[in-house]
Amino acid sequence: MAEKDESKLCRREFLARAGKAGISIAAAAGLSYLLYDATGPKAGIGTGELVTLADFSVPHRTGQTMSVVKGADRVKTIDKAIELLGGIERFVKPGETVAIKPNVAFASPPILGATAHPELVAEVVRLCYNRGKAKKVYVADNPIYDSASCFLLSGIGKAASQAGAKVVLPKTHLFKRTTLEGGKLIKNFPIFYQPFAKIDKLIGISPIKDHHRAGASMSMKNWYGLLGEGRNIFHQDINTIIAELAMMVKPTLVILDGTEVMMTNGPTGGSLSDLKRTNTLIASCDQVAADSYGCTFLDLKPSDLPYLAKAEKAGVGTTDYDSLKPIVTTVS
Amino acid sequence: MSSIPGRARRLESAVSTCLLAILLLIGVGVFLKQFDVDMSRFGIGPGTEPELEIPPDLASFVPVGVEAISETEIYDSENLYEKIDGRAALYLDSGFKKLFAQRFVSKDDKNLIMELYLYDMGNVRGAFSVYGVQRRADVNALPAFPVSYAYRTSNALYLVHGKYYIELVGFSESAELLGAMIETAQKIQANLAADSDTEIAELSLFPTENFVQGSVKLYLTNGLAFEGLTDTFTARYKVGDQIVTAFLSKRAGAEEARNVAESYCKFLIDNGGAAKPATDKILEGNIIVFHHETFNTFEIVLSIGAFVTGVHEAESQELAEKLALRLVNKLSKAANQ
Repeated sequence: MAEKDESKLCRREFLARAGKAGISIAAAAGLSYLLYDATGPKAGIGTGELVTLADFSVPHRTGQTMSVVKGADRVKTIDKAIELLGGIERFVKPGETVAIKPNVAFASPPILGATAHPELVAEVVRLCYNRGKAKKVYVADNPIYDSASCFLLSGIGKAASQAGAKVVLPKTHLFKRTTLEGGKLIKNFPIFYQPFAKIDKLIGISPIKDHHRAGASMSMKNWYGLLGEGRNIFHQDINTIIAELAMMVKPTLVILDGTEVMMTNGPTGGSLSDLKRTNTLIASCDQVAADSYGCTFLDLKPSDLPYLAKAEKAGVGTTDYDSLKPIVTTVS
Repeated sequence: MSSIPGRARRLESAVSTCLLAILLLIGVGVFLKQFDVDMSRFGIGPGTEPELEIPPDLASFVPVGVEAISETEIYDSENLYEKIDGRAALYLDSGFKKLFAQRFVSKDDKNLIMELYLYDMGNVRGAFSVYGVQRRADVNALPAFPVSYAYRTSNALYLVHGKYYIELVGFSESAELLGAMIETAQKIQANLAADSDTEIAELSLFPTENFVQGSVKLYLTNGLAFEGLTDTFTARYKVGDQIVTAFLSKRAGAEEARNVAESYCKFLIDNGGAAKPATDKILEGNIIVFHHETFNTFEIVLSIGAFVTGVHEAESQELAEKLALRLVNKLSKAANQ
């Protein structure tokens, strides 16, 4: 019998080896597929179902969408501004729960104008309780930086508490993930949700400030404080995120404080010389209109702030605030 | 029964074992490396830099009678926004390394609070850049400090100390607080080691006549909105009743200066500028004047030795040329030295 050619594999052995190699490759690929994380690392907050903020807006009333009150005393100007829109009773019904979202972004005293003014926050709390007969008023913001210090040094924590509100600090368990329908940036992102989950009405309070990145920080930018950990990445596309926040949050009312405006070095300022007294307060059911009017105090036009046009295009509100026929008055 | 002889089988086994060992080593390497990723290589995080061994003791700089009411906070490029939000971008673009911040209060009056911000900007140019860009108008000079590097407002004090940009912010207007802030700044200057490189040579190259004090700004990137103009200083001049801006950027050599000037000229033309001849005989042939019809402003661009210089957004060609002449005189001397 002739000897086999020993340098060649027999067919059976070839098939056996090929089979083993195939199984090894399939096992490795399968394992890789199982271990592959297509979504990447998470910010570390909340899993489970996504949440959506409710629509807190009130029915439209022609001629009572926006008021502008001139005056130096914030208590008087906010009282008048809300009265001109139909009174707090239009916005807050007896027994309702209200959340107020002031801008408490920094551990900075009221005198520097980097945060909402505590007098203004306190007066709105009082209006909700005394005139609106609210059952409960919450005051909440997520400054990221040491929130307790921000509420303490801004004076907002004390003022709100003394007026009867419950101040809610942004503890981790109060965050849930949300996705904005049609949004480009707000996708599966944590927001400070729990204080706003079971409320009936939402009021935003913010100062008018220069903002190094966005051009201006006003009512719409104020909602940035609802975003959770990792929100800094949105600074790369600041106009889109502000517009998306305005799409995400449908407030009952926004209050834009132009009593003193931070003209330069915003949003933190630091020097009193960054501020200019303009003695104006705006209350509006249309946040785009409020900010379009507010930016004029920073010597800007609405067209200078791309996020206003984006929000208008998304149907959030109008940049043509004159079309709303704002009620303008002065208090002594 | 196998058809492969024993010798070939042993060789095959040896090669396979080697390959498996190499794969195993690669696997171990990847596993270990994942704990030490430098995110800055992917543009999504700060680079791994050696930590300062001992952060500066901010409390050691405040006067007697002032005490800390917070811990020293330390921020890096990853979390600076937590402290100053949208203003972080300005610092990050200027070479920011670390921020040390702490609040203090007067022992005698608990309403007198100040916060000290010590920004490590890497070098004096980074520190001067954020200082100049944020400089407030109508401020008071501080006698004990160089005018270009320090000023105060009614409640705050700002200065450059080597690689540090320092802000002392009072939470109220108070002479006592301001005195404490000035003393703190002086102690920092005396005791905090900064850099041997504390001077910015270009500051002395601007003509002094009609110079608006404190108006110099340094743009480390995108000077005059043009990407090619890095390390660019601007300074304002009062010519007649008009304010005119001069600019200056020192390049590696004369050839680079010429190239940058040409690129900037092209940028101006691409953005609606039209080249015009100079009217002044001294300037004629040496400079290019641009008129922007939409804004009715005039620009002048020239290179002198290693300097790219010129005039920005003047309201008339005459004003632009007046200031350009002063720049030419001053810089020609510097270029020849």
